[in-house]
Amino acid sequence: MADDAQMQRYFENRERLIEGGAYDPASERDACGVGLVCAIDGQPRREVVELAIKALKALWHRGAVDADGKTGDGAGILVSVPQDFFADQVRRTGHTLRKGPIAVGQIFLPRVDLGAQELCRTIVESEVLRFGFYIYGWRQVPVDTSIVGEKANATRPEIEQIMLAPPAGMDGEALERSLFLCRKRIEKRVHSANINGFYICSLSAKSLIYKGMFLAEHIDEFYPDLRDERFSAAVAIFHQRYSTNTFPEWRLAQPFRMIAHNGEINTLKGNSNWMKSHEIRMAAQAFGDFGEDVKPVIQPGGSDSAALDNTFEVLVRAGRDAPMVKTLLMPEAWAHSDAVTNPQHQALYAYCNAVMEPWDGPAAICATDGRWVVAGKDRNGLRPLRVSYTDDGLIIMGSEAGMTGVAEARITRKKHISPGRMLAIDLAEGKLYEEGEIIDLLSERHPYTRWLGNMVALDEEIGPGSEPRMYSREELVRRQVAAGLTLEDLELVLAPMIEEGKEAVGSMGDDAPLAVLSEKYRPLSHFFRQNFSQVTNPPIDPLRETRVMSLKTRFKNLGNILAQDETQTDVYVLESPVLTNGMYKRIVEYIGPKNVAVIDCTMPLPAPEARHGDALRAALERIRAEAEDAALRGCATIVLSDEGAGPNRLAAPMILATGGVHAHLVQKGLRSYVSLIVRSAECLDTHYYAVLIGVGATAVNAYLAQESAQDRMERSLTGELALRELLLNHKGAIEAGLLKILSKMGISVISSYRGGYNFEAVGLSRAMAQEFFPGMPSRISGIGLAGLEQKAVEMHRKAWGEAAVALPVGGFYKARRTGEAHAFEARLIHTLQHACDTGSYDSYKRYSEGMKGLGPIQLRELLDWRPDRAAAPLDEVESINEIRKRFVTPGMSLGALGPEAHGTLNIAMNRIGAKSVSGEGGEDRARYKPLPNGDNPNSAIKQVASGRFGVTAEYLNKCVELEIKVAQGAKPGEGGQLPGFKVTEMIARLRHATPGVMLISPPPHHDIYSIEDLAQLIYDLKQINPDAKVTVKLVSMTGIGAIAAGVAKAKADNILISGHQGGTGASPQTSIKYAGAPWELGLSEAHQVLVLNGLRHFVRLRADGGMRTGRDIVVAAMLGAEEFGIGTASLIAMGCIMVRQCHSNTCPVGVCTQDESLRKKFTGSPEKVINLFSFIAEEVREILASLGFRSLQEVVGRTDLLQQVSRGGEHLDDLDLNPLLVMADPGPNKPYCTVEGRNPVPDTLDAQIVRDAAALLERGEKMQLTYTVRNTARAIGARVSSHIVRKFGMDGLPPGHLTVQLKGSAGQSLGAFAVQGLRIELTGESNDYVGKGLSGATLVVKPSPTLSFPEHNAIIGNTCLYGATSGKLFAAGGAGERFAVRNSGAIAVVEGVGANGCEYMTGGQVVILGEVGENFGAGMTGGMAFVYDPNERFELYLNDDSVVIQRLASAHWEGVLHGLVSEHAEETQSRFAKELLRDWDRVRGHFWQVCPKEMIKRLAHPLVDQEVKETA
Amino acid sequence: MAERMLKFVTVERSTPEKRAADARTGDFHEIYADFIDAKAKEQAARCSQCGIPFCQTHCPLHNNIPDWLKMTAEGRLQEAYELSQATSALPEVCGRICPQDRLCEGSCTIEQSGHGTVTIGSVERYINDKAWEEGWVKPLRPLSEKAQSVAIVGSGPAGLAAADGLRARGYQVTIYDRHDRAGGLLIYGIPGFKLEKDVVERRVKRLADGGVEFKLGFEVGKDASLDDLRAKHDAVFICTGVYKARELTAPGAGSKGVVKALDYLIASNRTGLGDTVPEFESGELNAAGKDVVVIGGGDTAMDCVRTAVRQGANSVTCLYRRDKANMPGSMREVSNAEEEGVTFEWLAAPRSLLGDAEGVTGVRALRMRLGSPDASGRQAPEEVPHSDFDMPAQLVIKALGFDPEDIPGAFGAAELKVSRWGTIRADFRTMMTSLDGVFAGGDIVRGASLVVWAIRDGRDAVEAITAYLEAKAPALAAAE
Repeated sequence: MADDAQMQRYFENRERLIEGGAYDPASERDACGVGLVCAIDGQPRREVVELAIKALKALWHRGAVDADGKTGDGAGILVSVPQDFFADQVRRTGHTLRKGPIAVGQIFLPRVDLGAQELCRTIVESEVLRFGFYIYGWRQVPVDTSIVGEKANATRPEIEQIMLAPPAGMDGEALERSLFLCRKRIEKRVHSANINGFYICSLSAKSLIYKGMFLAEHIDEFYPDLRDERFSAAVAIFHQRYSTNTFPEWRLAQPFRMIAHNGEINTLKGNSNWMKSHEIRMAAQAFGDFGEDVKPVIQPGGSDSAALDNTFEVLVRAGRDAPMVKTLLMPEAWAHSDAVTNPQHQALYAYCNAVMEPWDGPAAICATDGRWVVAGKDRNGLRPLRVSYTDDGLIIMGSEAGMTGVAEARITRKKHISPGRMLAIDLAEGKLYEEGEIIDLLSERHPYTRWLGNMVALDEEIGPGSEPRMYSREELVRRQVAAGLTLEDLELVLAPMIEEGKEAVGSMGDDAPLAVLSEKYRPLSHFFRQNFSQVTNPPIDPLRETRVMSLKTRFKNLGNILAQDETQTDVYVLESPVLTNGMYKRIVEYIGPKNVAVIDCTMPLPAPEARHGDALRAALERIRAEAEDAALRGCATIVLSDEGAGPNRLAAPMILATGGVHAHLVQKGLRSYVSLIVRSAECLDTHYYAVLIGVGATAVNAYLAQESAQDRMERSLTGELALRELLLNHKGAIEAGLLKILSKMGISVISSYRGGYNFEAVGLSRAMAQEFFPGMPSRISGIGLAGLEQKAVEMHRKAWGEAAVALPVGGFYKARRTGEAHAFEARLIHTLQHACDTGSYDSYKRYSEGMKGLGPIQLRELLDWRPDRAAAPLDEVESINEIRKRFVTPGMSLGALGPEAHGTLNIAMNRIGAKSVSGEGGEDRARYKPLPNGDNPNSAIKQVASGRFGVTAEYLNKCVELEIKVAQGAKPGEGGQLPGFKVTEMIARLRHATPGVMLISPPPHHDIYSIEDLAQLIYDLKQINPDAKVTVKLVSMTGIGAIAAGVAKAKADNILISGHQGGTGASPQTSIKYAGAPWELGLSEAHQVLVLNGLRHFVRLRADGGMRTGRDIVVAAMLGAEEFGIGTASLIAMGCIMVRQCHSNTCPVGVCTQDESLRKKFTGSPEKVINLFSFIAEEVREILASLGFRSLQEVVGRTDLLQQVSRGGEHLDDLDLNPLLVMADPGPNKPYCTVEGRNPVPDTLDAQIVRDAAALLERGEKMQLTYTVRNTARAIGARVSSHIVRKFGMDGLPPGHLTVQLKGSAGQSLGAFAVQGLRIELTGESNDYVGKGLSGATLVVKPSPTLSFPEHNAIIGNTCLYGATSGKLFAAGGAGERFAVRNSGAIAVVEGVGANGCEYMTGGQVVILGEVGENFGAGMTGGMAFVYDPNERFELYLNDDSVVIQRLASAHWEGVLHGLVSEHAEETQSRFAKELLRDWDRVRGHFWQVCPKEMIKRLAHPLVDQEVKETA
Repeated sequence: MAERMLKFVTVERSTPEKRAADARTGDFHEIYADFIDAKAKEQAARCSQCGIPFCQTHCPLHNNIPDWLKMTAEGRLQEAYELSQATSALPEVCGRICPQDRLCEGSCTIEQSGHGTVTIGSVERYINDKAWEEGWVKPLRPLSEKAQSVAIVGSGPAGLAAADGLRARGYQVTIYDRHDRAGGLLIYGIPGFKLEKDVVERRVKRLADGGVEFKLGFEVGKDASLDDLRAKHDAVFICTGVYKARELTAPGAGSKGVVKALDYLIASNRTGLGDTVPEFESGELNAAGKDVVVIGGGDTAMDCVRTAVRQGANSVTCLYRRDKANMPGSMREVSNAEEEGVTFEWLAAPRSLLGDAEGVTGVRALRMRLGSPDASGRQAPEEVPHSDFDMPAQLVIKALGFDPEDIPGAFGAAELKVSRWGTIRADFRTMMTSLDGVFAGGDIVRGASLVVWAIRDGRDAVEAITAYLEAKAPALAAAE
């Protein structure tokens, strides 16, 4: 039984990794395709089920398949219970049918353990009987096990149905509620009986769920029931899952009881924690005696989607209907939205905000509560949801258009759901509510506007006002010293915040020791690393998409989330949780000191003989007890303050106090009764604020930071700024920083972030973290209460013990003698440069020895070899040459680096057969040809980053590897911007932009919001380049193993794990310092989880981040890396001396600057770089020889060759690197990549096109081809474009030389990267990403002739023309969200767009002949747009931060517009366009011209004609 | 606010005005004018605020140079001063006489990349002079007095730095020096055109006002033995410097008119301070009207040649056996000397001194060339055969370096261990000599070195002696 052994090994490995702390199943992610079919009249139809099954079969590409080709990640379908079918079943068993509907339970039972199975049945029966049901009997659900994979079969449960008759007279909602409670009780009892493998898919008289771990296309083969003609339904919700793990757990398939969800809940941790507080009051009120049974609402061990479903269900069963629950959990962004204009809608959303923290993250959900069917989106609209209405009353919605294959002629309407909105169908009434109508209905149900009268906008009450000064200069300095502040903190961090309202920016990587390894005092915040999004969910752009973001903070007792009355709104609301000293004072006054409990978070100095940590523990226990007491007393506001610190009192770490109180109150069920204001002396930068809020603070007052700011003002250091401006600047900078920290993990609302522990600890004692920050990962343990107390005492002595105190200078950001250690120090840099300049290996060895002598800075320095054999002769070890091939210089763009430095790296790496990464920003065409001396200056690896600058079909074909940069070590989860002064002529040319105009890289890839999107991008790239391997660059974090597994399943060839040490040309200092984890942690986790899932040998692992010696390379190899990126050291070889002013364009050695005169100072050469890599390789050889190995491959993943040799400083509780060293058994597979070439992806229609277009591709003949298509045919045009660009170049063929006519619904990425010469004409519709990276082709999409008013219908999906550089797109219908994002040259005409149209556009022209969604033109710095706006609504939706709008006022530009509309009319035969042209004189006045502000002065043709201006 | 620093891309390096050679050689005043405020600010703003401050790394005191440059650029002079003095007991002295071109400025990142160094020394001098002018330099006032006392033997930079730190901590400090003025080489060795004497005197005065007792004209070994000092004080810090001149071994070296550099410089400095020095009056140590040859290539040699110029020498020639690139002295001083009319004979070594016992008349020298590098990478000079040449000289000054005197002998302390070069052996970490409670630092431990190193040793001695004294009297320390 091979599969049994395999499963056995899987379980053993899994257990070992979990035990070793290397893997947490909670980190697994999933995503998918989703949809529903519904008969609006509520009458069951067989076709509903049939279409849903068909759709599911057309979504296979959104799921993933295990290596066995049969085990899927899960698929399922929820249908209305087919009463007729079950009535027949009941009759067949000899029962008489009772009155009332038949309730059916679809139940997974343990299959192998028959005893457990029987026990489960007994529990189920006894509970349903207890609830008064009559049991018709059990039915074994027929299944065809032959079509499931081995793994899925091994975990397959026994699948049975129990059929019940309800107690007399019970029906409708009451019945469903009773079944819900019954199910909850069953689950509880089974759980307490310790039985695994039991799961109730559904227990309802309305909904029935069939799901499992088969491929979606096999669902009706596995469950023959679904083919039964009696299986008819009013609604069918379906789901295809894509999971990051490969372990087939049947219960994790979707749909869940009420919803099917595509996306990810980024706020899950915060939401789950808050539910623990809410559920206490809620359960008692809604479920009375059964209150205990429904708790915990969120079942442990489920996915984020399951948790959402749990919450959704409980809210429904507590009496809210599905549309209201959707609104509560996923409200539209309303606070800053100009589009939500209806005051009643505003009031409804404000009420929701007062009641509940939103569940935030990309989401398309399809849900039903039995009566209502809803389908809606998250506030950002990050998942697609296409809708079709048929002429016979069906509605079909889902992730893709054309899934069901319904004849075009039947479809009367097609649309997109807007961000934050939903469609709802009341099956009982047979009525459909459109997006606006359903909100109307909800907002009219209660007098929300009146209720809101209770809500106090606190800002108006407490600010602005006086700001007291608290301390004398001397006392201030002492307090600063006690709080660990340094001159550097004040000068480098605080000064820019108060003077400019901005966070400090820095460059290069973080080379200071991890906080846990430092010998210096480090605030507790330094042990917290910010979470961030990568791959499975997108970060948000907090600058350009501000309207979805909110820092609104509720105060006071939060009440019962179920209360539907005005008491619910009896709260204070602050615009942000950042309080000035004066605001704090006034809040306390306003609330009334009686209602405020101020808890002193200081403690007496511990007695010298006392055990370390006891005093701190006692203090924390006192603080928690006082907080509990205050809450019980009815104090709705608790203040935690360390202000009482002084000569005789020591401050407790406020993060610990806050976390302790929050966790304690949550546990006691008291947290939602109170608000926590934290006053902390240490708190200075945004990261500290974020940590305090993340561990539970409601609001934060950094009183000492403010005192320091006021002190600066009094010392005349802040120029002309008034106190108010100063404090507003500070508050503004912190708020912007908080938004950035939230947004980098895709959270838009602070209430959902609060208390969510969205961090991972590196170096905190596991026990302490568990106690004070429950649920926050802390893999390697570290400092505990004893160590924290000692450090605090030490600082206290320094501050209060000496006669005179001066602030230490610091040294954390920039090296200082008395400050923190830094991995690269002056003498070693010179030694290394000397070695590279002269080729002296001896000098290199001195450098390498010197590095070793620095003391531990990174985790790897606590490890040493543990040889298992005798040394080998050095000459038997593989050559330098072989080893060097594994080296990479990581992505440093031409733009960050000067062209000389960039070219030098390329030439050096090409000479030695290694690889350089281009970085983001294109490559000069001139580099595609070798230099006269034979050197190849072309980067072997081309980066595809979120800006898609210069990413053309040609660029993508001129390389051996494509790297998708999902995140960057120095600033994971953030975008970037290249300021105008760095955009030289050359940079502008390469990036298809205008010189001098700012360029923005968005935080996410707008075509990767989810793991299946990444799979799609990989697919697209493998189409446009048929040879190149695809690499996905990730940043180390806990949970990266699951992500890496997902990426491997997406057919990536290489996975790069970047450490947080990675460099940057410019990033906020707090991002460089506090986001991302060491690569040691991420690499080992990725390696082990890939091994666990049997995926390791399909992908190559690469690591980078601060690697600088041969020792680092070998350690990385043992932790699982096969290839190695060396960035900073390679810059040093070229002359970099770590001035760390890359962001200032003043690099004195000309490495990292565009300044002509500074570039002349560049002294690097390929030889120097080659010397570096040769030295490192030679050192690797020496180490391998000493360990007895002959090649690097042999040690990959051999963590058993490593041992921990130091446990860090004496003050630490423990520092346990075992999680890095635990090893999964790969079984018969290799622990390294064994794939020759690349992982193949299935062919698309292009395979046929390429065959059919042989005449063109071989002889350049003009051709025309015709096909019909379905949504499964993706990336049409990409492969043939690759052939064209390789044979004829980017502009070798005239436009339209090859015409491909298509009919039907095209799959995603139609015309991706398509080049000039290709012309695609589609009749029908297309899915997301039409014209992604368009590189010159013409795309025409026209509707089927049967569709009336196509201009009001959707025709193409989301994120079309993303990163397009040239070409044309004409679509006679509406586009989805984010149309023409980062377009830098394509021309397009469409008849409507969704939200975020033309975002970040830098070139090209876009004409929109219809409505636009919100946030149009955000961050648009180039190109031109025209919008037809007959209803005068455009201005509401415009983001005018970077653009101006005007009416047509220039003959030139009107001519351009008219020409484009004419071309559109001609290409698409759009009736609408033709009408506009006919009526031009009348309609021209309804056009807006949208022009980027920065472009106005650079336009060849002014926006306003001179004579027009004069006459006007 | 716009970036205030990193101005090296637009602002050229400039140093404070240097007086023209012919204007300055007539007196012994410093040759650099003060920075005017705006200039100091502008020049300080050229600093690149490096991630790795090579200037600090290569400063023996590890001064927080980028920080006080930033403060200066922002006009926060008092803060700049406070930062500067926090790591140096004599910052205005360092600003004047440190060979910055070999230390901080020589390692300055923008210097290395060819932009011209930030003028660190001038800024240091500027902010600290400013501090004296503005009265920011606080009197030395210990928070509380401690009973323990420390003897410091030698009042040079090491001694002054140690006294400053120890006194600030409340220890009773007595400085013993055999000369009649405190300051050691700062007062008598270094000519006024590099370091005007009132700069040293005000530092000495501040110490004296702060309660440091000076016993001048006090020779340990004669006026008291080391044991006496040990009995009287809880700790002793020996920082006597190295004064024994290396001898010239060429024939005729004993002739009249062949003098030791230090004798020559002390005479000149004393004269400048208003003393009557017979050897100067007699013309024995006065270069006026003479052809002067100075042998050696270090900073002392430079001091001698430039002093000779100022005394009105007929000609001044410096003889050095290696070339310009390989000389130990500061390049800045060489160019100052060149400007002032000194002739340099590189790659030349004295073979014999001409004239007779009663009076030297010239120097016969040999040409040298640089041979293959030795282990330290330095090329050893070797003679070029038959390359003799003569030059006239009525005064020949030997500036060949200094060796330690016989301290154990002089102090009557045979148990005091010395190295084979005669320097006192002190523990690398604790700075303690072979005698309990006796510490040593500065040139007498290192051999002839820079003032800044002596200051460093003085500061380190403060930590070492404090640790020692606290351990010795824990009860006392705890009571405080």
